[in-house]
Amino acid sequence: MPDLIDGSENISVHGIFNWIFLLAIFSIITVIGNYIGYKHPISDSLVGMGILSVITLLGVWMERKLPFNISSIIYISVMGIILAFPAMPTSEFVSYYVSKVELMSIVTVFLAYVGIGMGKSWNEFKTLGLRAIIITILVIASTYLGSAIVAHIVLVMTGVPV
Amino acid sequence: MKKNPWRDYKLHGTVLILVIIAELIGTIEIPLTKDVAITIMPLIYTIILGLVFYLAKPIKWIERKQARIAEGAMMLFIGVLIAKLAVSSGQSIGLIFKMGPALILQELGHLATILVLPIALILGFKKEAIGMTNSIGREPNVAVVVDKFGFNSPESRGVFAIFIIGTVIGTIFISFLVTFSLSFLPLHPYAFAMASGVGSASMNAAAIGPTLAAFPGLETQIEAFAGFSNLLSFCVGIYIVIFVALPLTEKVYNWLEPKIGRDSIIPKKEDE
Repeated sequence: MPDLIDGSENISVHGIFNWIFLLAIFSIITVIGNYIGYKHPISDSLVGMGILSVITLLGVWMERKLPFNISSIIYISVMGIILAFPAMPTSEFVSYYVSKVELMSIVTVFLAYVGIGMGKSWNEFKTLGLRAIIITILVIASTYLGSAIVAHIVLVMTGVPV
Repeated sequence: MKKNPWRDYKLHGTVLILVIIAELIGTIEIPLTKDVAITIMPLIYTIILGLVFYLAKPIKWIERKQARIAEGAMMLFIGVLIAKLAVSSGQSIGLIFKMGPALILQELGHLATILVLPIALILGFKKEAIGMTNSIGREPNVAVVVDKFGFNSPESRGVFAIFIIGTVIGTIFISFLVTFSLSFLPLHPYAFAMASGVGSASMNAAAIGPTLAAFPGLETQIEAFAGFSNLLSFCVGIYIVIFVALPLTEKVYNWLEPKIGRDSIIPKKEDE
C-alpha cells in the first residue's frame, strides 16, 4: 500500500523512517483537531494516536516483510480487533486511550490530505461529461442504498431490536 | 532538491491550518423542514478547502508535488483510520458475530449498481456502461475490469471515468446522500452503519459521520459495523464483483443493449 510514498521522487531515507515521521505528523494534527473539536485531553489522545500509529506501522511493515500476498489493511484490522478483544489483557488500555481519539477527528485530517491529493485528478475530471457524472452519482447511491435496504431486511427478519 | 515526504512543511502546515479552521467552525445543521436537516461536518470543509487550495492560483505553495505527497501519505493514513475502526470492532466482536448474516448479505446489496445500467444505455453509453455500473468503481474494481477487458477497452474507459469522478465528488456526495437517507428512510441504525462500508476508505469515513451524529449513544456499535463491513467489502466484495457482478452486468447489457441502446434513443431525444 505505501508504494506511492516510496515510489515518489526524492526519497533518500529508508521507507520506515518516512512512515514513522508521517504518522507522527498525522498524530499531532489529529490530536490538535481532536482537542479543538471535542475537548479531549491532549495527553490521552496522544497515547491513543500512538497506539493506532504503531498498529498501522506494524501492518504496513508486515505487508512488506512477510512472504504472504496480504494487504496491510487486513493485518491492521486483525491486530486492532485482537488488541481490543474484551478477553485480551490489552483490551482495557487500548480501548480507553483509543476512545479518546474521535473517529471524526481522524477523518477530518485524513480528508484534508485527500482533498489536496484529488486536485491532481481535477483536469481529467473536467474532461468527463455530465452524463458520466450522473452515472457516478447513481452508482454510489445504489451501492449505498442497496446494502442499507438488504441489511435492514435481514436485521428485521432476524429480530434485532433497534 | 531532495526532500522526504514528511519534511514538506508546506503541505502538513496547510493541513494543520485547514483542520483548525474546520474544527473551529464545527458541525452546522441547516434545517430544511421541521424533521429534516442537512448536517455539514468539519470533514466536508477540509476536503473542499484542500481541493480549493490546490486549484486556487494565488496559493502557490500547494502544487502538484504537494498533491503527490498527499496522495502517497494518504495511503499510509488509511491505516490509522482502519486501526481505529478495528479497535471498535474488537470491542464489539460478540455483536458482530451475532449480526453476521446481515453483515454478509448486505454485501450483495452492492449489486444494486447494475440497476443503473439501463440509465447508462439511455444516456448513450455502449460497452463503457459495463465498466461503469458493475460496482462502485474504486481501486480494486478498476483492477478487476482492466484485468478482464484490457487497458484500452471501452469497459476500462467506463470504470476509469467512474473512478475519477468518484475521487473528486464521491466523498462529498455520499455525505449528503447519507444525511438525506437518515432523514427520509426509516431503517435500522445498524443498517446505515453497515451500508457505509462501500469499499472506499474515504467514502466510508464520510458516510459514518452523519450516521454517528444521528444515533448518539451507539458510537462504538456504528463504528464497529461500519469498519467491519468496509473490511468485508474489501476482501469479500471483490470476489462478488469478479464472480457475480461483472458477469451479471454483461448479461444484462447483452439483453438490454439491443432494446434500449443508443440507436433507439436518438429519436426519443428528438421527441423532447
